[in-house]
Amino acid sequence: MGVIGYGIGVIGAGLGIGIAAYGATTSMARQPEVQGRLFTVFILASAFVEALALIGFVVALLG
Amino acid sequence: MPEFDALPEEVNELVESFIATPVVGDTNFGITQYTFFMFIAVAIMAVVLFVFKKKQAASLVPQGRFVNGVEYVIEFCRKDLVEDMLPKTWRQHFPFIATVFFFILINNLMGVIPGMHPGTGTMGVTVALALISFIYFIYVGVKKEGGWGYIKSLKPKGVPFPIDWVVWLIELFSTFLRLVTLSVRLFCNMFAGHVVMGTFAILASLFISRFAQGVTLEAFTGAGISLLWLLVLIAIYAVEMLVAVIQAYVFSLLSAVYIQLAEEDE
Repeated sequence: MGVIGYGIGVIGAGLGIGIAAYGATTSMARQPEVQGRLFTVFILASAFVEALALIGFVVALLG
Repeated sequence: MPEFDALPEEVNELVESFIATPVVGDTNFGITQYTFFMFIAVAIMAVVLFVFKKKQAASLVPQGRFVNGVEYVIEFCRKDLVEDMLPKTWRQHFPFIATVFFFILINNLMGVIPGMHPGTGTMGVTVALALISFIYFIYVGVKKEGGWGYIKSLKPKGVPFPIDWVVWLIELFSTFLRLVTLSVRLFCNMFAGHVVMGTFAILASLFISRFAQGVTLEAFTGAGISLLWLLVLIAIYAVEMLVAVIQAYVFSLLSAVYIQLAEEDE
């Protein structure tokens, strides 16, 4: 059951990182000069999203 | 395939081996396998930096791969991490953020080497790191605005009366939540990555062990499947090295962001 729960939980994180990458790539295509700043913000945003998925992973393993 | 039936038991054994067990002393006052490798990482860091300092002082222009490599990493840390986030006061905060960055980086990279544990793979070390970062940015805020002023500065200006205290409460809560997210993010990344790597290594070894029953056609298909798992393991290994660097980057970047938030005028 825990594994199924993790699978459901990771949908949200996958969508989140996907949307972040989509936004980063489209804005890089429009304005290549802000690439450096955007990369930092993108990594930050993915780190926030990824933490949720990882909490799910650990809970699924331990619970 | 009977290998998949044996998998859950093996994975449970693997996860149990990640629980901190003391090498010297007990879990209260002693050295667990994680802190043991943390001390080794600190020793490596000290040796690398002292050798770097000596070699750098030897000539005016940096020479050789070692000196230039270390300088490149420090330059990256200074430019991308600290200067971008703290344009005015980066000189003051650079030593702290660089220390955190190098400590986590070397610890994470040590964990990728087979047979070693990352110092950051246990909750104790990551909570301690998060606590250091937390105390540091609170200290910066208190030094700038005073104790009561810092608490009040969490309240937004220009918001009507009852709403601003609600926002203040949420801000206060999220400030303490930073402690949890900083530590849990680092710990979970290391823990989850090692469990995934271990699982694929176990799968590879389970399928190759068909040869124990004798050299048959089944054993050779098992070896083929094992090779497939090995390729996946190599891919995961590469991702894990990337994650080790990115997590060190994220931790120090977030510390810089929190210092910036504590410092800015509202």
